Amino acid sequence: MGSHTFKGGVHIPNPYPVEKSEIKQVPPPEQVVLLLQQRVGGEAKPCVELGDRVLTGQVIAQTTGQFPINVHASISGIISAIEKRPIPHPSEIDAMCIVIDSDGKDEWIEIEKCDKDFLNCSAEKIIQRIREAGIVGMGGAGFPTHAKITNAQGAHTLIINATECEPGIMCDDSLMQEYPREIIRGIEVLMHACGAKKVIVAIEDDKQEALNSLLMYSFNDRISIEKIPAKYTSGAEKLLIKALLNLEIPSGEYASDHGILCQNVGTVKAIYDAVIDNKPLISRIVTVTGSAVKYPQNYEARLGTSFAQVVECSESNNQKHDIRMGGMMMGVNIPSAQHSICKITNCIFVNNKEPDLVVKECIRCSSCAPVCPANLLPQQLYWHAKSENIEKALEYNLMDCIECGCCNYVCPSNIPLTEYFSFAKALDRKLKREEIRIDRSRERFEFREFRLERNKKERAEMMAAKKIALKEKMAKDKEKDQAQKDKIAQAMARIKKTKEDNA
Amino acid sequence: MHSTGLNTNQIMRQVIYALILGVSAAYVFFGWGVIIQILLGAISAIVFESAFVALRGRKVIDSISDGSAVLTGILLAISIPAIAPWWIVVVGVAFAIIFGKQLYGGLGNNPFNPAMLGYAFLLISYPLQMTTWPVDFLSFNQAVEVIFQLLHFDGLSGATRLDDVKTSLSLGRELTTLQIHSSAQAWINAGFLIGGVYLLARKIISWHIPVAFLSGILIMAVLISMFDSQQHLPIQNHLMLGGTMLAAFFIATDPISASTTPKGRLIYGFLIGILVVVIRSFGGYPDGIAFAILLLNMTVPLIDYYTQPKAFGKS
Repeated sequence: MGSHTFKGGVHIPNPYPVEKSEIKQVPPPEQVVLLLQQRVGGEAKPCVELGDRVLTGQVIAQTTGQFPINVHASISGIISAIEKRPIPHPSEIDAMCIVIDSDGKDEWIEIEKCDKDFLNCSAEKIIQRIREAGIVGMGGAGFPTHAKITNAQGAHTLIINATECEPGIMCDDSLMQEYPREIIRGIEVLMHACGAKKVIVAIEDDKQEALNSLLMYSFNDRISIEKIPAKYTSGAEKLLIKALLNLEIPSGEYASDHGILCQNVGTVKAIYDAVIDNKPLISRIVTVTGSAVKYPQNYEARLGTSFAQVVECSESNNQKHDIRMGGMMMGVNIPSAQHSICKITNCIFVNNKEPDLVVKECIRCSSCAPVCPANLLPQQLYWHAKSENIEKALEYNLMDCIECGCCNYVCPSNIPLTEYFSFAKALDRKLKREEIRIDRSRERFEFREFRLERNKKERAEMMAAKKIALKEKMAKDKEKDQAQKDKIAQAMARIKKTKEDNA
Repeated sequence: MHSTGLNTNQIMRQVIYALILGVSAAYVFFGWGVIIQILLGAISAIVFESAFVALRGRKVIDSISDGSAVLTGILLAISIPAIAPWWIVVVGVAFAIIFGKQLYGGLGNNPFNPAMLGYAFLLISYPLQMTTWPVDFLSFNQAVEVIFQLLHFDGLSGATRLDDVKTSLSLGRELTTLQIHSSAQAWINAGFLIGGVYLLARKIISWHIPVAFLSGILIMAVLISMFDSQQHLPIQNHLMLGGTMLAAFFIATDPISASTTPKGRLIYGFLIGILVVVIRSFGGYPDGIAFAILLLNMTVPLIDYYTQPKAFGKS
């Protein structure tokens, strides 16, 4: 077994722990707004029309392409809009959404009774059910789960990521305490689907209750539940693999290349629901926390429920708030709470508005280097990113930065380092695109030059050939003329001779 | 989200607090001159920093409040003799702040340690004033009179301890009386050593530079004494005389002008240590710390470039 840790990272205590770990149910809302834009596979195409009545669990849109993902109605009701709405992102950019007005009945589609013994199903059948249920990585990455399992066929080890990906988020912790039986069963389904012989469930050592409840239901000796130190960024896939197996996945390669499949514990629960209960993904667990809420709590809410409705349950105070989607390290601040929960919304932070931190100059103290889990030199990177010297930044492994924010956290000068890094990455992409564009237009230009030149040459050759042909023809004509003349002369001579003979 | 650790201003303040013990020891042996020099250094640092920040059109209060200018002023004032005339420290601080820091763009952008740049400038320009130390405790009045040159005080001054020892060694004299004087320096060094350990414990500095620097000094001193023990300083004097401990924990560790990678810091500290002993033993100046640090400051970009750690997944 490995050292159960990795270099770098920071221990950050949860600033707002919950009193009770139970998951509160948020009642199905009056209206849901379901985002059609998917993380992978682009925008889902609606397969319902305005005014249609839909039932809970009904497929209302689907992406096409390599990894098709279904979008399901999360309540029953009438489709009241299919239009562009601002998405939960700092830019509030618009994207297509389907809006359903509830009929208050929450009437489900008919769920076929399915074979409870999944071992009778083939792996393909299970993967198909996962795909049809619209399951994506619930930890926040949102990659289609069926595609990930397909890519990792024949994996030797299955790792269940039960570390909370960021401090402050508690949804996986409560999920494990509430649904341990379902999670263990879901793990067995996954083992069957990918063929893994060994499973490691990685739990942070500050989640003893969750660990205990999983242990109560885990009788499968191929599943080992292991504690890892509670340290931020241990939820990052490659770092988790390093901690558990002491295996460093090389930059640019995937875990599946090394026979390892990683799945988030929330995804495992969704897989259980899809394969055993045949229910699609229409709800998820969301943590609501932050300095402005009275009761930090985990909620199970239907997808498409507005943030405001969930936050209301936690009794936020009446001051001005900063709303943040995702964790306190990597989440994004969004302008308002009028957005809706999607498949990857694991946490909503509601913080009292605070004055911005004063940013000072970098004093090159290098506090950022030892905490960097990617083992980079953030202060050197910052220097090059700030001066937009992308080439140099790339030399300092800019692209290996996972933007976890550990460096921001420890910086005594409050420098938002990762913002500079993501900016530099974007700049690099732009430059690369520009380069490709320039290359293309140069190629086009050069080809045009070549084509014109070739045409000219061809024409010249053609002309020359014609000229020669003409000359030859003229020469031939001349010969012919001569021959004719000769013939005439001969004939004349013959006539003359005949005349002379006659005479 | 931000850690509850120290911010940049607090770090500078902590470094200043850590100097108190060493400064107190200096006060015990040299008297009020030490305190007056520090006040002069700090005040002139604030004046020059404010003036130049204002000239550059930046917010003066932001710059002063970070404490870095005051720290530079104090470090330079500690390094110069307690009875140097008042204008020595003022000129030195002016040079340090203006040419050592502000012309490069202020805090964080200076390739050289400003205090050491000021020190080197003073040592080259005013060698006499920079090497004359008091031999006795000076009262407040005496110190004021000497520093502000109200009267001449030849009887109170002597050569720099290291210079003295060196000269007498080459003359083949006994060390007995000098050893008594050097106990003052040993106490001062001990004070800075304890302050340095405090900074290490508070994780304000990393262990790399001090440890590498002191081992550099030790190894070089041992090597030299192996070949010629008569003509050079005893090994313990290299560690406990001059500015060794001040440099080890407070000057060489200045993060802005030092190497930033763990491996780089070891190389950086070690080479400074070697150079310090080389300059002390073979050079024309009594102490080599300022020159050793400035020389290694120049090599920092190179050291940093070649000591990059391997990124995750790239080994």
